[in-house]
Amino acid sequence: METLSKYSVSFGVSLAITSILSALLVVVKELNENSVLAWMKGLTSHHWITHGLLMMIAFFALGWGLAKMNNGEGLKMTPERLVCVIASGVVIGGLIISGFYLVY
Amino acid sequence: MTEIVLMAHVLFGMLCIVGGVWLFVDVLHANEANQGRIRTMSIAVAILMWLAYLVGGYWYLTFYAADKAIILKGPWPFAHSFFMEMKEHVAIMLLLLVTYLPIAAASNTAVNKGARKLVLWVVGLIVLIGIAIDGAGAIIGIGAKVALMAAKG
Repeated sequence: METLSKYSVSFGVSLAITSILSALLVVVKELNENSVLAWMKGLTSHHWITHGLLMMIAFFALGWGLAKMNNGEGLKMTPERLVCVIASGVVIGGLIISGFYLVY
Repeated sequence: MTEIVLMAHVLFGMLCIVGGVWLFVDVLHANEANQGRIRTMSIAVAILMWLAYLVGGYWYLTFYAADKAIILKGPWPFAHSFFMEMKEHVAIMLLLLVTYLPIAAASNTAVNKGARKLVLWVVGLIVLIGIAIDGAGAIIGIGAKVALMAAKG
């Protein structure tokens, strides 16, 4: 069986999760302009900068954390499954963002 | 100055897409001889996308407010309310993908078919999303143009 490095798997899963988190943050901040959006604007002067920074931090923190699982061996997953997880995360994230702005 | 910043944003984005297609073809024909180039190109694609994001972000935060006001008063307000809003947030997912790309491409794609499949999928997503975002940028530009034409009468 072809195996992937622990960083490929861990950061790949992190990419999928962070993509969906990013899309959900779009919905939450747009629906809560006076609280979440205002807080994000206050943090870096623009919510978009804060959004990008938060997602990068989440991506690296989650990827690093997943790589430390299983006594440092990281997550195990077949390449086919990882591709499916990444593609699903990105497509679902894109659909959430597009769908939200279509109706919002 | 505004136009130069905007053109640099588009240029870096287009170079990222072209680099992605190059990388896709290189990985399809992966062998021991092109492993170094594959890793270099994966880093180049990531750097180009980050440059497009930073330059575009500077333009968006500094100059876009005036364009936004014009677009929203014109016949194509959706150029901002849908396409720009969607573009600026999907771009963050694209940033995540290009940041991940060099990690995936660090494996030997010549001997590891799983790693090759993974890199092909990641690059494929980068190119497809890049083209979609580029198209959204074109619609935003046309949105501003038709608004100015309508205002002129």
